[in-house]
Amino acid sequence: MTEPVIEPDIMRMSWGPQHPMSGQTRILLDIDGEKVHRIIADLGFTHRGIEKILENRTFLQGIIPMERMVMADTPNIGLGYVMATEEAMGIEVPERANWIRSMICEMARINSHLYAFGLQAESTGYFPAVFLWTTVDRTIILRLFEELTGARWSLNFFMPGGVHKDLPKGFEDKVIEGVEYLRRRFEQYWVAMVENATFELRCDHVGVLKPEDAIRLGATGPVLRGSGIPIDVRKDEPYAAYGDLDFEVITESACDSMARTKVRYREIGQSLDIMEQVANEVPSGPIRTNVPLFARAKAAEVLSRVETARGEMGVHLFTDGGMNPYRVKIHSPTLRNMYVFERLAELDEILVADIPVLINSIDPWYLDSDR
Amino acid sequence: MSEADFIKAIKANHPDLVVSAEVLRSKRVSAVVKREGFIEVAKTLRDDLGFKFPVSGGAIDFPKEEKMQMMYYLMNPESKFMLIYKVDLPRDDLKLPSLTQVWEAMSFHEREAHEMFGIEFEGHDNMIPLLLSPDWRGGHPLRKDFKGEGSEE
Repeated sequence: MTEPVIEPDIMRMSWGPQHPMSGQTRILLDIDGEKVHRIIADLGFTHRGIEKILENRTFLQGIIPMERMVMADTPNIGLGYVMATEEAMGIEVPERANWIRSMICEMARINSHLYAFGLQAESTGYFPAVFLWTTVDRTIILRLFEELTGARWSLNFFMPGGVHKDLPKGFEDKVIEGVEYLRRRFEQYWVAMVENATFELRCDHVGVLKPEDAIRLGATGPVLRGSGIPIDVRKDEPYAAYGDLDFEVITESACDSMARTKVRYREIGQSLDIMEQVANEVPSGPIRTNVPLFARAKAAEVLSRVETARGEMGVHLFTDGGMNPYRVKIHSPTLRNMYVFERLAELDEILVADIPVLINSIDPWYLDSDR
Repeated sequence: MSEADFIKAIKANHPDLVVSAEVLRSKRVSAVVKREGFIEVAKTLRDDLGFKFPVSGGAIDFPKEEKMQMMYYLMNPESKFMLIYKVDLPRDDLKLPSLTQVWEAMSFHEREAHEMFGIEFEGHDNMIPLLLSPDWRGGHPLRKDFKGEGSEE
């Protein structure tokens, strides 16, 4: 990249690209003593050309590269692509499959939010053990994934028309058991971490993003809801079984790093409720409609939207009657939030020591922004 | 405002500049505008029709029709529907005024469209590669005629 001129008395610090917190990216900070004047996000270190790869894969094969966008949250990402494919081909999904999809998506959201929460605790510099606690708690979810799909991270469980397999016998009881355990842990984390005075000192009033700025700069997901704006695709445009499930959109009004962390944290509670509802009430019936392995889609243009753990992801799919997509445009939530992160130095006073807290409150996943 | 009302409103506001506007399905509308009125219509969208919330941007290549299409995705935070705001560009004249003067958050998306498709955005103040490496000389990867030769000079 061409380096802009640096003013005198300002030092440029490079943060990364060797794994500055989570993933590979470089962040350039123009600093004057402790104060950050300007943040520049230098993305692209993990660009793999997923949009181009998808043009050369059949619709079924495309799910696999697509899910590599966010490893902690593969079902939500995969669902965006699968839903776009279904809409282009005009495939109906059975009710049971939709309920199972919702449950898996919420499990992945818990997994991703616990990861973000552990990193946020670690980024303050005081709580190295919390990341390990959340890692252990995430294995509850990962074990359930393993039993259901055979994989712990990249599930490839959704396919056009439904899901790959039915729930194994007794799986619902294991889900309830996991939910009960995680609820107990959830309360403990709240007392130990979220209401912790040290944690509050590090996160309160850091990187304040006012609601009007959040809208103007195009923030999404917990960053947007942390600024008090209740936009959530699951409610605005219910997909899978979210229209039948009972949950609320979490918002916080403080607009700072703490608010964004709290939104993520309280969303775990909502996701646990959804998991429990599905485990108790999942309707019986078929789990998928049969779609030919090398299905063709008629010429169409569809835009599907899903709420991933990091925010809204859109998949704009163009088909031309062939076996592959003509073009896939992916709206990456991290890319949108990284723009907000770049501009935060102008909106609020930021110190170098706040940068780890601030960037983790955005919850970036650079594989997602780079595609 | 419903989708049909929006279509009526945008056509009534700019009858000469809007080429076509249609409802794709519920909560999805798309509008194609002429390049010369592209900024003017965008300002109406933001100020009068409530599309304050920029979502994303990207392009698509149609080599058979000798054109590319630049697409901006906008959302109305009240009615919660999404507009795909399109403008056609002939393939031999890929110039467009930058939409960052209306929604500054389109900056990243225009940088991406510039490196992936070679579209020139006039008035963009920071046109450096977003995702590709600075020494990339292999052309524009998302064009349909891209063969994948790599970055050797």
